[in-house]
Parts: sequence; C-alpha cells; structure tokens
Amino acid sequence: MVDVLETDVLVIGGGAAGTNAVLKAADRGAKVTMVVKGLLGKSGCSIFAAFTPYFQKTDEEIRRNRWRFMIRYYNHYLADQEYCARMEDYMCTEFYPDLERLGVYWRRDAEGRLEMVQARTRSLVAHKQGATGPILMDKRRREIFRRGIPVYEECAVTSLLTNGERVVGATVLDYRRGRFFVIHAKNTILATGHSDYLATRATGTREQSADGIAMAVRTGAELANLEIQWWHVSDVLEPKSWMRYHLYPNPLMGTLETSRLYNSQGEMFYEQKTHSPGAAAPYTEQLRRLALEVAAGRARWDGGYHSGYDHIRAETINTYQHQAKVWSKLGLDVGKDRIECGITWHMRHGGLNVNAERMETSLPGLYAAGGVGCHYLGGFGPASFDGKVAGEAAADDALASGRKPFSQEAVAVEEKRVFGFLRAGSDGPRPIQAKLRIRQIMWDLGYVKNERNMQAALAALQAVREETVPRLRLQSTTRNWNTGWMDALDACAMLDACEATVRSGLNRKESRGPFYREDYPYVDNENWMCRNIVKRMNGEWQSRTQPIQAPYLPPEKSREPFFEADY
Amino acid sequence: MSPSLKQTTEPDKVRLRIYRFDPAIDRAPRYDSYEVPHTPRMRIMDALDYVHETLAVDFGYRWLCGSKKCGTCAVNVNGSPKLACWEEAQPEMTIEPMDNMTVIRDLVTSRDPYEAFLAKLQPLVIRKREYSGFPEPLTEADVASAVHLRDCIQCLACQSVCPVLQQPDSGFAGPALLVALSELSQDPRDEGDRAKMAAKEAQVFKCVSCYECERVCPVEIPIVGEAIEPLKRLAYREKSTPGARRAGAFLDSVKKLGYVNPSEVALKTQGITWNGLRLAFRMALRGKIRLTDALFKRPSPGAETIKTTYDAGESR
Repeated sequence: MVDVLETDVLVIGGGAAGTNAVLKAADRGAKVTMVVKGLLGKSGCSIFAAFTPYFQKTDEEIRRNRWRFMIRYYNHYLADQEYCARMEDYMCTEFYPDLERLGVYWRRDAEGRLEMVQARTRSLVAHKQGATGPILMDKRRREIFRRGIPVYEECAVTSLLTNGERVVGATVLDYRRGRFFVIHAKNTILATGHSDYLATRATGTREQSADGIAMAVRTGAELANLEIQWWHVSDVLEPKSWMRYHLYPNPLMGTLETSRLYNSQGEMFYEQKTHSPGAAAPYTEQLRRLALEVAAGRARWDGGYHSGYDHIRAETINTYQHQAKVWSKLGLDVGKDRIECGITWHMRHGGLNVNAERMETSLPGLYAAGGVGCHYLGGFGPASFDGKVAGEAAADDALASGRKPFSQEAVAVEEKRVFGFLRAGSDGPRPIQAKLRIRQIMWDLGYVKNERNMQAALAALQAVREETVPRLRLQSTTRNWNTGWMDALDACAMLDACEATVRSGLNRKESRGPFYREDYPYVDNENWMCRNIVKRMNGEWQSRTQPIQAPYLPPEKSREPFFEADY
Repeated sequence: MSPSLKQTTEPDKVRLRIYRFDPAIDRAPRYDSYEVPHTPRMRIMDALDYVHETLAVDFGYRWLCGSKKCGTCAVNVNGSPKLACWEEAQPEMTIEPMDNMTVIRDLVTSRDPYEAFLAKLQPLVIRKREYSGFPEPLTEADVASAVHLRDCIQCLACQSVCPVLQQPDSGFAGPALLVALSELSQDPRDEGDRAKMAAKEAQVFKCVSCYECERVCPVEIPIVGEAIEPLKRLAYREKSTPGARRAGAFLDSVKKLGYVNPSEVALKTQGITWNGLRLAFRMALRGKIRLTDALFKRPSPGAETIKTTYDAGESR
C-alpha cells in the first residue's frame, strides 16, 4: 500500500508560475502541497530570466510598443489578447510590489531612479541582466519555506490520477530515496514550464524532460500549438554545457546597441536595429537570417558563425551583463572577441489548452500555469500572473468542494510501470541511450520542417518506443538517486511530448514565428491564427482548431510570404 | 577583426576517477576510472556528462542549469571544491563529493542541513514599518556594500572547506549562511535583530578568518571582508554571548594594554569559574602565564600609539 498525502491544491513545478500559485493558493486559505522535480527555485528555466518587463500605462507610446511586442513579436498573434490585458494590469500593480516586499532590489541609480533597459519597451534588472531570475526565485523559495508549506523536492510526478472524470492528484517518485507515493488533491496545477531538454542542443535544464506535457497527453488533455517551438540562435557553442549561455540579441541595459551575428566570412548578417528595426523580440528574425546563411554555406546550425558585443564599450557590458563573465572565464576580451554559437531548442509557445480566465484545462480538476499553457509564450512576469490566477481559482474551488476518490487500480498500474524499469542487466540498452537518441531525432528534425522530415521523425520516435524502451536495462537497482531509473522515466515522457509536438506540426499547414515549413512557406492568418489542438484518447490521436480573437491588435496582413514577415 | 577562438594547448584525453558510494548497498566507497576525449573548452561537467551519456554509466551527480546560476553541481576535484559547470576539465581528475556533507549517492550530497539552518535565520527582509509600495525609496549607494554578496548562488563550496564546520556540532552557521545573513543586515530596509542572530543562532565569532571560504568561492565573493567582518562588528554589541564578550575583551585588552592579556580575556568572556581558576593555576605552575600579569596589568611601551590608531580607525 503506498502512502497517500491529502491536500487541497497540488502544485507541480517550482518556477515562477508554480511558486506564485503556491503562495496565492495559500493566501486563500487552502492547504497546498508542492512537488518539484529539481530544487525549488533552482531548477527549470525561471532562473534564466534576464530581466523583467516594466509595464507602464502612463506612457502611450511605450504601451503601444509593449502590445506590439506581446502580440506580434513574442506570440506571433497566438496569444490570448484578453489575457494580455489582465496580465498587463497585474504587471502594473502587483508583480513588483509582491517581490520587492520580500526584499528584491531592482537596480537603481545614484539618485534612486530605477535603471531601465531603454528600448521600445522598458525592462528592469535585479542585480545584473542575466542574473535577475536567480534572485527573484531565491526570494520566492525562502518565502515558501518561511510559511512552512510542504515542498517535495527532487521528486518527480510520474502520472496524474483521475476518478474517471476529474484529475484528483498525482503519483510521485522521490528519486533521492526511491519512495513512491500519492498526493490526493482536490485540484492540481501543472506548472512545468515551456523549456525542455528535448534536442541535442537545448536550453532546457537537466531535469526538464517535458513531464508536464507528457502527463497531459497520457491523461487525455488537449494541447495546443506545441509545434511553435523557439530556437535561440546566439547561444555559446563550446563548451557544450554552456549552450545555455545566451548572447542577448534583444535590448541590453546601459546601451541602445544589441549583439551582432557574423557568418563564417566574418560578415555581419544580423543585428536588430539594422535588420529588423520594428521587432522588439528579434529571435524569429535571427533564425530566418541564419537559415539563409546556412543555405548559402556560410554557417551551420551548430557553429561556423559568431556573436559578440565587440562594437559596444566593454565597460558597459561588464557593468550590466551577467554574461560578460563567459568571456573572462575563457580568457577572451568582451570588447574585442566574438564567440562561436549554435542554435538551441529553447522554449515552446504552446502547451495545455487553457481557459486563461481561470487557467482551467480541458480536464476538470487540472489547471495549467505559466509556459506549460498555450495562451502566452511565458516569461517570469506572465508566468507569475498565471500562478496567481490558477492558485486562486484552484484554491477557491477546492475550499468549496469535496474530495473525490482516486482509482487504486490506476496507482497500482503506475507503480508497476515505474518500478518495472528497475531491472538491471547488460542485455539491453541503457536508458540514457534512449534519451540521447530522442534528442538526436529532434535535433535532426531541427528548424526547417516539411511533411517528409516530420513523418520521418515520427517513425524514428516510434522505433525508440517499440524497440528500445521495452529492452531498457539499468546498471543498478538501487533506489537511492538511481540516474538510470530517472533516465528511463524521462525517456518515456520525452517520447510522448515529442510525438505530440511533431503531430501538431504536421497539422499546421503554414509557417509562423519560429515554426518554418518549407512546404508551406507563408504566414496564413486567415486559416491558422488559431489554437492547433491535439489530444490522445485511448491511443488515438485527435485534432481540432479553435480560432483566436484579436480584439486589440489584429494582424496587418492576412497572408504573407514567411521570409518577408518580420515576426 | 577576425572571429577568434582562442587557441590553447588542450590535452587529448581526460582521465577521471569518480567516487562511488551508495550508502544503501556499499560498505565502503570505491573509485571508478574512466578516460574520455577532451573537447574544446571542456568543463568538468562536460567530462562527467560524457561518462554518463556516451559511456552510459549511471553514477549519481547533481546539476541543473549548467550555467553558474543554480549552484548545485559543486564537487571536489583533486581535493578542492569546484563548480563543475564552470571550471575547466583537468587532464587528471579525482572527483568526489564535497566535504562536510552527507552523501546520498556517489557525488550527490544532501543540502537539507543548509536549508534548515537558513530558515532559522529568517532570511527575508524583516519589516516593522509598512511596505511603502514599488519602487520604495532606495539608491544604489544604499545597497552598494552588499553588491558582491548578491552574487552568491549557494553552491556550498565554502561550507565544505570551513574548518570550524568540520568540528561535529560546532553550532556555527558557516560562510554561505553568513553571506545570506550579512546581506540582510546590510539592507537598509531590514529591521530584524540581525546582531542577535549573528551572535546567537549563527555564532559568527566562531569564524577563525582563515579565508578558506574565499579561496574556493566560484563567484569570488570577499566572504570574510564583506560578509563576516561586518557581521562581527554588528554582533560585537551582543554582550550576552560569549563570542561577543571574547571579541570585546580582546579589543579592550589591546586598546588598553597594547597586547592580548589572556587572563583578562578569559575573565571577561567566562567570568570567574572553578574550571577557569584551576586552569590558570595549572598554567601558572608550568610557566605558561604569570599570575602577576593578571593582577598588575602593565601597558606595553607602544600602548598609547595603538590606542590612538584604534580610535582613529573607529571614528572613520
């Protein structure tokens, strides 16, 4: 018999969304329990927040630019615009006070004025640009511990439990000790983020194997726009572990300049002010420009091109940029030297199909907050807003309703699945090899997609599922931090998430933002400004679309060639 | 200007000896050896990843961000703690868990004692006045003294080398916790009794200023000078604790006499105790101290100069 812990609200994930969900649900008086696969406030992508956007309603021009940024450049017209209006209110009134009350210091000048990234929009930094995330998360972590909220760290949620109608909790594996238990909840909030380590080069952190997406697939939840997958262009090539160091192509603090990209001939092929003066988030533009360089043989996806800040005063970079230390550690001069880069699979626009007014998913009892949803790309501020909305909605509902039983049989089946991987031997592949293979498949699929290469990726994933996974063998059956055991569970999650992503890509018959299909090389706002939804029911994949409204900022063109669009 | 990839003489191979120990199964630790190809600009973590990934070895190690933000990958490399994602791979590396920590498996250690101690220090700004709303009045100068302390990523390398923490049940917080406490004590918004916390909960006077913590800090925080010394100055007022009394007596003795008078320091720290008297008597018998010094304290010839220097320093 496995242990069962009772709670009103279960929050899965310890980033910006999860931490705020926990705090806001607790504020409402609900009993809250948190499970974090890594360490609270130290894992996941929230610690990568370079800065936080400063929303102001008072300056009309800046506000207009902010909206263009949110809708056009950051979300490619796939954001929920009514959500954006509510989130803007939150950012103007609550986000900063909540964190400053806990002691966050946003950088000011000698006279006490807030220092800002002075671009079309405004952003603030805590400490330095690139070091903001760890500081904000550290305060949230301390606050959650201060309140004595139960947090299960280094515990992986392996499945969502249902009673046939609603989600009523989850099964959890504490991988430090190999303890398997159930958290029985009235409501469950999924906050597992938008950044996963699913390709050979990726920004996702070690533990991020898209468990949230995978569990949603297995439970039959609807997922939308999974294929809108950001790749970052200006990420460090070597050493490999530093692929998560991103040389910001977006506005920097202390200067109006941005980083530049140079091809293998040393020719500059991208900088924001020259090549996409209107774009506030130049990532998709960088990708398109790099694609042209790769096609012309002047760069590769994994190297052969450089980025740097050598046209900017070194003192400015050293004063405001956390990334400046990359140069000094490599013995390079930030004012002179450039660094070779490669692309990384960075973050996912899509996720669980949510009603963004309450962050409810298509499954009763299951909420989604932050980047794991489909209504907005993510980011520290918006994810915090989602956490508040989901936390309050889930808490209020839980306090007003009774507890529904979970299926003991489902727990037994899941326990058997999880412990089924705990078999040692040398007569089969190691789980890490399955993970590496999946990452390679997604890397090979890469940025330039078409019907053929997506079908090939699907077939390759299927081969891993059918031929590799059943034969997996571990080196040890220890239950103490068994890396191989975790890898096996991760590989299964990655397979489900990647399959859903590729299927979703096959359904979208256009190109948009960071999603490029050679066979449909145009942006089609007439037919595809929608949620492109997939779900798996009883092993069968289903799909549908749901139009997206544009009450505040409609697209300017209904259709345009992909390489002519600037978003 | 040509794109530059700095050419350095990098070795062809990296040899690793990795500490393996599973407390649930193994009676004693062992070391497994691996040889991996060196890759450009290779970090320690890249070598560990190669063993895990390409050689498919399931040893336990912890890392999350790979980019010096999470502070979870610190391990001992050839006897000294290093942040694996940050430091260069060496041609020969013996990799072990950090010292002063409980091993969960192989290189993974428990962070729980650190978190539990941190919670005791109430590690968030303590406000007695109501928060005035964003942005609250602050300037860069108000928080400048703690600027380096904000770099701390809690990798615990400093805790692992602290000689005081090597003493069982020392009660000492250790450098990482003192960095956290010191940052709060230097925050003009904080109204917590940090002096008391530093003296009582954190026992800051147990720090022997050996600078080992600074030597190993991957983010190069001047831990002694900018975190611990300011805390000691603050806690010095907490005369209810022996640490603060000892520090005060030490200072008074030097100021007054120009040298440290041990009996005076002992008397002021502990008062008159049976054990103290016995010890003093035995030390006097063996010629370690002169009882006359305890009774007739004579200033050293340069005492006046020393006092002037102190006073000048304190008034600054």
